Amino acid sequence: MPPRLQPPPASGTRRPRAAVLPLALLLSLALQGVAAAPAGAGEPEDSLRRRDPELPRGLLEQAARAALHFVNFRAGSPSTLRVLADVLEGRARVNPKKECQVDLVFTTDRYNPEEGEERLGKCSARVFFRNQKPRPAINVTCTRLIEKNKRQQEDYLLYKHMKQLKTPLDVVSIPDSHGHIDPSLRPIWDLAFLGGSYVMWEKTTQFLHYYMAQLSSVNQWKTNDDAIDFDYTVLLHEFSTQEIIPCRIHLVWYPGKPLKVKYHCQELQTPEEASGTEEGSAVAPTELNNF
Amino acid sequence: MFPAGRSMRGLLIWSVLLGAVLGKEDFVGHQVLRISAADEAQVQKVKELEDLEHLQLDFWRGPGQPGSPIDVRVPFPSIQAVKAFLEAHGLGYTIMIEDVQSLLDEEQEQMFAFQARSRSTDTFNYATYHTLEEIYGFMDMLVAEHPQLVSKLQIGNTYEGRPIYVLKFSTGGNNRPAIWIDTGIHSREWVTQASGVWFAKKITQDYGQDFTLTAILDSMDIFLEIVTNPDGFAFTHSKNRMWRKTRSLTPGSFCVGVDPNRNWDAGFGMAGASSNPCTDTYRGKFASSEAEVKSIVDFVKSHGNIKAFISIHSYSQLLLYPYGYKAEPAPDRDELDQLAKSAVTALASLYGTKFKYGSIIKTIYQASGSTIDWTYSQGIKYSFTFELRDTGRYGFLLPASQIVPTAQETWLALRTIMEYTLNHPY
Repeated sequence: MPPRLQPPPASGTRRPRAAVLPLALLLSLALQGVAAAPAGAGEPEDSLRRRDPELPRGLLEQAARAALHFVNFRAGSPSTLRVLADVLEGRARVNPKKECQVDLVFTTDRYNPEEGEERLGKCSARVFFRNQKPRPAINVTCTRLIEKNKRQQEDYLLYKHMKQLKTPLDVVSIPDSHGHIDPSLRPIWDLAFLGGSYVMWEKTTQFLHYYMAQLSSVNQWKTNDDAIDFDYTVLLHEFSTQEIIPCRIHLVWYPGKPLKVKYHCQELQTPEEASGTEEGSAVAPTELNNF
Repeated sequence: MFPAGRSMRGLLIWSVLLGAVLGKEDFVGHQVLRISAADEAQVQKVKELEDLEHLQLDFWRGPGQPGSPIDVRVPFPSIQAVKAFLEAHGLGYTIMIEDVQSLLDEEQEQMFAFQARSRSTDTFNYATYHTLEEIYGFMDMLVAEHPQLVSKLQIGNTYEGRPIYVLKFSTGGNNRPAIWIDTGIHSREWVTQASGVWFAKKITQDYGQDFTLTAILDSMDIFLEIVTNPDGFAFTHSKNRMWRKTRSLTPGSFCVGVDPNRNWDAGFGMAGASSNPCTDTYRGKFASSEAEVKSIVDFVKSHGNIKAFISIHSYSQLLLYPYGYKAEPAPDRDELDQLAKSAVTALASLYGTKFKYGSIIKTIYQASGSTIDWTYSQGIKYSFTFELRDTGRYGFLLPASQIVPTAQETWLALRTIMEYTLNHPY
């Protein structure tokens, strides 16, 4: 018999709560008669899920991801990052400015769930995709996933932990090829993910979405005026093109203060011809920052 | 000392000097000689040799009774001198070991290989990721342990010349209806090859134990290709963990590799793949241009009796059926959808892992030239693609601790599909 290990549950195993939507949320979204279409083939059996059957495949999930990257970046808290749990409902329309406007409600999980913790946050968002241009505009509010004090505490612990790490960090990849992250290096990953969230928010369009695949190098690590100054390279995985995109990111972080991010991603060569799939943009390297 | 001619003495002194100069610590050029001393006088001669410390002789089997072999390791600088001495005194000898260092090197290699390699599929570590050599070694062990059930077929060679192997699980018959499973067509999707290894072992364990699997194998064969893209897989170990495609060279381009899941002859050239060799969804110059794809195409066509075809990828937690290249529903869409639903329900029953399901184009994205669009066009009705764990948290770098749970839950879905295929012959 193959050795039996205590099997850990997969990510995303928590069954969706039968969410009771607060009326206020619904009103604030001003939803209009959305056809109560039954859950489409393969979608989670959630009777409260409603969506416009005319919606392009995956648009709601796309909007949810963009909104979440934005939420994570804006919160500036590497210890309380969120991931998408479920999209509960949503609708989309093309507005007079030719933008694709998506209104939606979705639930979130903690990125680093703690033992026994099963709290689901909820967010309502309005996302504007600008005709395949990146940097969707986002209005989003979320219920608090974790107490403010607790969040500050955890961020501060993370901050202290990172200040104690010896520099220069002789780390190659996080995670390693086998998906392993040494617990002592976990805070580095979380902080890198926070910076990556800014990049992924900006790069998400109706058709392109990203995951952070690997932290492939940590270049510089110092503290200026007590803030953590972190220069690193991540590999982003763009899903529809399946491309791996290296992005050099430079961030400055202090607990409780807004995150400062600069980045430069290595874009693909210009494709010879367009195909049905969005092929990784042909734009010149972007150097955007929010300093 | 022994009576020696001038030249002999010279040689011996020379060997001393040489020894001092070279001062090697290793055993390059050292030889092991087996000396035969015919009588007591000859034994004495060898003892005299033993006394010459500067020769640095290392007697493995010292001088004893006449007729007993005497084995001695002679350092390279002393070889000429020692041989000359033996010949001068009529002592017969043979060279047992020509070069001690080479022997040591070989042994070292074997030792390392031995340490890494387990001795049976029962001691093989399923909860870790393995190299190509280790997986190929596993396959051979499995066949050796279950020769009545498992055999290994070579269906072709990769671009770089590696053999492409498929395991055949069969209890007999002649060209029985069959089920095909492949893992690792995209090399960076490591949980899939690792699961394939686990499936192989599982089949051998469950035959005769599990009612369903036994019924399946009593009437059908199972073909399992664990490393469907060996060149890519080797590359993910040696150079780039994120490599997806084959490693073929495209004339006229600096870029390497073709997406093997865009290279099939189904909607080839249509929207849903790239014509740019530098992209990860490059379809190749023509359908089945890739040896890794062509070998399966040839196998499927010549077999002619495959009834279910399952191609396994990661990540996203999806179970998909045709089509990928067009939105028009497949003729068997309703049946495939129902079967997919049962399969993901079975999968979720173990650890609660949620899978979505549907056609490729509706569930994931438009993809042309994909595997199961082709197999479906060949009349293989139950054509499915899996995307295993996870949904993006770790993505391709799924922690090794999740290999076995992933394989276990996926197996339940595979079993569901296989059982359905058995019960719905066509």
